[in-house]
Amino acid sequence: MNKDFKEYSICTDAQAMLKKARVEGIETVWDRLLEQQPHCGFCELGLSCRNCIMGPCRIDPFGSGPQRGVCGADADVIVARNLGRMVASGAAAHSDHGRDLVETLHAIGEGKTDDYVITDPEKLKRVAEEVGVNIGGKDDAAIAKALAERFFADFGCMNGTLSFIDRVPEKRREVWAKFGITPRGIDREVVEMMHRTHMGVDNDAVNLCLHSARVSLGDGWGGSMIATEVSDIVFGTPTPRVSKVNLGVLKEDYVNILVHGHSPIVSEMVCAAVQDPDLLQKAKDAGAAGINLAGLCCTGSELLMRKGIPMAGNHLMTELALITGAVEVIIVDYQCIMPSLVAVAACYHSKIVTTSDKAKFTGATHVEFSVDNARAKAREVVEMAIEAYKNRNPARVDIPVEPVELMSGFSNEAVLAALGGTAQPLIDAIVAGKVRGVVGIVGCNNPKLKHDYVTYNMAKECIKRDILVLVTGCAAISTGKQGLLMPAAAEEAGSGLKEVCNALGIPPVLHVGSCVDNARIIHLCGLLAKALGVDISDLPVAAAAPEWYSEKAVSIGMYAVANGIYTVLGLAPPILGSKLVTGLALNGLEDVVGATFAVEADPIKAAELVDERIKTKRKALNLTP
Amino acid sequence: MQHKTVIVRPELCVGCMQCAIRCAQAHSATKELATAVFEPVLAKPRIHIGVGVNPQGVLKPFPNKCRHCDPAPCQEACMPGAIRSDIAEGSKVVDPALCIGCGMCAMACPYYAIRYHHDLHAPERTITAIKCDNCHDRQKKGQIPACVEACKTGALEFGYVNEHIKKGAGRLANAAWSMQS
Repeated sequence: MNKDFKEYSICTDAQAMLKKARVEGIETVWDRLLEQQPHCGFCELGLSCRNCIMGPCRIDPFGSGPQRGVCGADADVIVARNLGRMVASGAAAHSDHGRDLVETLHAIGEGKTDDYVITDPEKLKRVAEEVGVNIGGKDDAAIAKALAERFFADFGCMNGTLSFIDRVPEKRREVWAKFGITPRGIDREVVEMMHRTHMGVDNDAVNLCLHSARVSLGDGWGGSMIATEVSDIVFGTPTPRVSKVNLGVLKEDYVNILVHGHSPIVSEMVCAAVQDPDLLQKAKDAGAAGINLAGLCCTGSELLMRKGIPMAGNHLMTELALITGAVEVIIVDYQCIMPSLVAVAACYHSKIVTTSDKAKFTGATHVEFSVDNARAKAREVVEMAIEAYKNRNPARVDIPVEPVELMSGFSNEAVLAALGGTAQPLIDAIVAGKVRGVVGIVGCNNPKLKHDYVTYNMAKECIKRDILVLVTGCAAISTGKQGLLMPAAAEEAGSGLKEVCNALGIPPVLHVGSCVDNARIIHLCGLLAKALGVDISDLPVAAAAPEWYSEKAVSIGMYAVANGIYTVLGLAPPILGSKLVTGLALNGLEDVVGATFAVEADPIKAAELVDERIKTKRKALNLTP
Repeated sequence: MQHKTVIVRPELCVGCMQCAIRCAQAHSATKELATAVFEPVLAKPRIHIGVGVNPQGVLKPFPNKCRHCDPAPCQEACMPGAIRSDIAEGSKVVDPALCIGCGMCAMACPYYAIRYHHDLHAPERTITAIKCDNCHDRQKKGQIPACVEACKTGALEFGYVNEHIKKGAGRLANAAWSMQS
């Protein structure tokens, strides 16, 4: 790493910590990217196959070497199989996370936990009634048990469909039925993808891609949506609140605890434990002013949305947070937790605590959390952090910036409440052209792109064009750190959006949650489409994942497009080795699901693409462009 | 004057073929992998991985490319003078405008390093001789040859042969003296 640190990130906290990492000789994700480059060209194009040991095989994209794998699969089949497995992995991650929430709900229903309770009984009843669970004469526990059992059935194919399928507009369901991509069960579609991509099963690239769409829809309207809704029921439905973001949320004289990963199950218990008077006293006895809890990535978003817990940073900030020297413990659950954190923590007094039996890290401290011990275990980890604080070396502490304010908590319920109870004012604003359209800017960070640059600038450009921006996951943190998540950012919006934001007292970029909460966005799209009597693909909406890196993002992008939402990616997925699959993604899907992907890493050009799509859709609805 | 060249250490090659794919990319019109694979006339690699069998019966890869001989048998066999020494100093470079696709150079090459393909620089002809040009365009920009940049294991190095040999001679000397009891 020898460029100016400003080349790596637009964030001053990141730049300062990269410099400190250099001085202290600590390796980061950017160093490892350089070591890996150039990456494998076959893999970049999706042309390598490791599915059996007649291979591994590669297809020569320049035509002079082999054009078929040992089994006979050509470039199209290999690319489609590889893409299918990426979607399956992404859908599995979201959905297994969702299942953990359903298990928690079930444990509450069966009275097997005192640690977890129903925080939003109104939503419990509302969702139960919506999915056809008979709530008559039942108490909350009984409803919770029945609803959990209903959702368990979604994971196999006991119901033959998904509980939330009625949230999908009729016209969209007809499209799915026509092409045979209606999801039948969450796990079933993932397992079937693994089956189809075994040697000698599905050897038609188009058929494989259609099943990829079906897998992803099982994620969006199944696994992810269940994760979101059950999280709200158990931990509370988010409402707007102001908090703070960036590494400045760490406090020099406090015991600093970070929660990282994706699930609220562990982090909510940690959040409770840090308020325990006995533990606060222990922290004071250790010489600290108190205990400071902050979040990283989506677990951070879960706590930020519901509790206003401050946010330390997104994916590429996780190593850098440790480099402040001020973090006692990072408590992790699962997904997007770089294995390198253990090595970085070992350079300081910091500890990495793993909490799930499905996500252990060699060298970390494992404290297994379950529904019957979570509160006790959370206290144990906080005590561990207080012990670690005693070993902190103050000479190595550098908290480089002051925190920035951000507003969070825009669940669909909160958005509708802000609009006065129905979506009609939003529809009116769209019809009037004050809000020309809506774009969901979501996804990750990727060290191949300057950290936060593409996401932030794209969001900024969209609001200028009167396009309301919804953000989740790492993208929410990218925009929040630059001030776009505060109502004052309406000043940077176009005149129409500015007027609407000022009238409602909301920011022009709304934080709607973690990455499973992209389900909130498709749910909202479904509500709007139903209200207008159109398909989702007719709406002036779009999606973007400017700095994506993960398989989960592939699944999200796929379900966005399969829902009829045009999606701009900052980096191409590994499909370019197949002309057929690439052609489908960029053009062909328009005639199938009414939307396509585009690839554009320039934030202004990406906003332009979204704008063009919104113009086209507005014209088709007889609205001003 | 000696020129830097690509030094091949086949004992380190794992047969990943990254050199070949990055070679083709470097010789494409657009120079980016994502676009190079969509060009109407595809670029071709100029380094190839041969496969041999060692005495234990194990298949072993062998990276093979032009050695830029001087005098070069290919150049001597080329009737139209398409293999030129005046395009890049120290390199034998095929001029697609002069090549007639006769195959003489390939037959003369002791390393089997020349192949014939439809060439994007001579799209009107079906075949043109294609061989390593030492990435002279990249070298002008201060870059090393694409195959060397791509090599993960050190099987390809870019340097002076004598320096490489000197290092090897040092290793040999160490080995010889370390055996003395």
